[in-house]
Amino acid sequence: MQSSLVVRLLILATAIFSVLGFALSPAQAEDSEYALRIQVKDQGRSADGKTDNQPVPGVEVTVTDSTGLVIETGVTDSEGILIISVPSRADYTVSLNEETLPSAEKLDAKTPAVQKVLTDSFVTKTKVVTYFTGESQNVSQSGFERVAQRFSDGIRLGLILAMCSVGLSLIFGTTGLTNFAHGEMVTFGGVMAFVFNVTGLTFLGFLSFIPGIRDDGTFHIFWAAPIGIILGGGFGWALNKGIFGPLRRRGVGLVTQMVLTVGLSIALRNFFLSRFEGRTRPFADFSLQKAWDLGPINITPRDFVVSVLCLIILIVTALGLRFTRLGKATRAVSDNPDLASATGIDSEKVIRLVWILGGCLAAAGGIFRGLDEQVSFDMGGRLLFLLFAGITLGGLGSAFGALVGGFVIGILVEVSSLVVPTELKTAPALLILILVLLLRPQGILGRAQRVG
Amino acid sequence: MDWNLIFENTLKGIIGINAVYFAIAALGLNVQFGYTGLLNFGQAGFMACGAYGLGMTAHYFDISFWWGIPIGILFSVLLGLLMGIPTLRLRADYLAIVTIASAEIIRLVVRSVKFKTYFGGSDGINGFSDSFRSLGNDFGIQEADQYGFWPFKFTGRELWTLIIGWLLVALFGFVVYKLMKSPWGRVLKAIREDEDAVKSLGKNVYSYKMQSLILGGVIGTVSGMIFALDRGSVQPDNYSRDLTFYILTALVLGGVAKVSGSIVGSMMFWGLFTFMDNFLRQVAKDPVSIGNFTIMKSTQVGQLNFILIGITLILLMVFRPQGVFGNRQEMAFDGH
Repeated sequence: MQSSLVVRLLILATAIFSVLGFALSPAQAEDSEYALRIQVKDQGRSADGKTDNQPVPGVEVTVTDSTGLVIETGVTDSEGILIISVPSRADYTVSLNEETLPSAEKLDAKTPAVQKVLTDSFVTKTKVVTYFTGESQNVSQSGFERVAQRFSDGIRLGLILAMCSVGLSLIFGTTGLTNFAHGEMVTFGGVMAFVFNVTGLTFLGFLSFIPGIRDDGTFHIFWAAPIGIILGGGFGWALNKGIFGPLRRRGVGLVTQMVLTVGLSIALRNFFLSRFEGRTRPFADFSLQKAWDLGPINITPRDFVVSVLCLIILIVTALGLRFTRLGKATRAVSDNPDLASATGIDSEKVIRLVWILGGCLAAAGGIFRGLDEQVSFDMGGRLLFLLFAGITLGGLGSAFGALVGGFVIGILVEVSSLVVPTELKTAPALLILILVLLLRPQGILGRAQRVG
Repeated sequence: MDWNLIFENTLKGIIGINAVYFAIAALGLNVQFGYTGLLNFGQAGFMACGAYGLGMTAHYFDISFWWGIPIGILFSVLLGLLMGIPTLRLRADYLAIVTIASAEIIRLVVRSVKFKTYFGGSDGINGFSDSFRSLGNDFGIQEADQYGFWPFKFTGRELWTLIIGWLLVALFGFVVYKLMKSPWGRVLKAIREDEDAVKSLGKNVYSYKMQSLILGGVIGTVSGMIFALDRGSVQPDNYSRDLTFYILTALVLGGVAKVSGSIVGSMMFWGLFTFMDNFLRQVAKDPVSIGNFTIMKSTQVGQLNFILIGITLILLMVFRPQGVFGNRQEMAFDGH
């Protein structure tokens, strides 16, 4: 049994590493470990109403060390980014040549043309230096408009959280496992879609006769997203087949399995980091859009479509769980595995289904999140705690609870940023988590005997 | 391949300051996880309490740095209560969720621009370990001098921190060992084995669990202090979720519910980590590739190392969940 488990683990690892590894060859020339990442952004809203923080390409920037020696002079790329590798952690001076700025652009007074980088400010190996041009966007909005805008953002985040949580909650319900690697399943979806959409798989170039697939093997997001979702489902299946299924059969305890998911999370996240690198990157399609002005709120067509798609997927999932045979069986196992087995339900089959469904939904959540924000190596890991808050609020193990809980947490997080600083907007979710556990530990839709 | 350098660095890794603060933090986690069966996934939060307690005292309150020690401990007791009150009556998973969330929120708060005046934002707080270092000078270990012999060569500053660190490891190792032999410790172990049985004997399980959570947290706080004193700075991003996970890996590597396990595990963790790091760096001086496909560049060595940590943890859980030197019977809380 043990040796076959090793074989399975190896096959699983090789499969993931080969798919991701080949696709995501790192593409820039960073020789030294330390680097300065200089980004120039236009925070002004241009006449056609494009959203703020547009990249400013073609700006010349020079980095000199503390003795005044020029290390490198470069020009920002189409994303307004310039990466200059530096020999070590030390003090540097970054100066921007204001004459190379596009005409009519001026630097914001807060980011002068010459900026100092101190040794201590290298928290990681890359230090980001940002320049802003144009007027800042602190246009005064009415209170109602701000609430409405936050609310619409919150609905979108809530829908994505709800989608990601279903798998987490159902896996908990059917197997008792709290999966700390669920965030990485979310990232997996985003990264896979990115591989097909942006990096491209050259050997699939022969498919270019199909609309939406290009010669260099990149796929339009309309193809890349479903592929990512299917691969996400496959990933969930593989995790169950390769790791958790055999462990369950061996009767390995839940705490051991939980610590194992921690290891899985470390390994996957660093794998994503090593192949995808630390920066966030947008999908190739729909990354820049003009926002619709709908009275109090602004929403880009992309975000609108994302919200509608999320809603459709969630409704289909809920209806499936409610009315189909398999859905009913899933809820039965989630309620009481022993009783469900006694009535003839094949619980292993249900658990397999839950892992696949959970993987698909998590991947879909990752792709939509990637469209909404951008793709990064820890996009899922950063959502994990909100997912936990959501499923605890809804009731651990209940699928409908996860939907409701995730949705509520999403809205709460966005709306709370009206009161608390944006960087701390996830903190109220912790407050909710603690309050729920104090007052109603079974959650909104959970049953009391599940706890304790 | 410079084997001498690899060997020297690995030895230094085994006894270095990283192993020291990991060992203390792992001892604390062991009290909670190994002996009581509490899943504390927020040890980094307790460590941040200690580090920021020291940093804030010296830097903002402008009182003697020694006050930082009780203040840091006070922070961590409060944190323990915050984590424990809502969760300790519930099943183990809830504590895991709340601890991981609390530690993350602490990190976000201390690195926020909003509270920059208190916690120094993402740059953290610097320059508060002078009085600690000058104490070393008073004891005759000069900061700038070199001490020791190959391969154990340290500057006076490193040596002073190391001596204090290992003394603390020994102290806490002894305290935890004695505590777990005491009647109090046996109640903790009994809670781990069968909570209901302990309840039926009239013990207040909730209170015992809380004491264990806080004791482990306070030990973690001391570890955070040593870490901060050694660096002479606190930086919020050092106290991320991953720190807890690596300490957990070190603990499980050595063996749960054993004092020696926490200490040896941390030494093994840093020995292996330093060895792999140095070894891979030498391998990857030139990018390793097959054809056009780059397998590894020098910039990816760090990440590869962490991938290996993750895989180590997975394999340990599959084949030896009690750790290399652990006792299978001590894993009774997990259905064995």
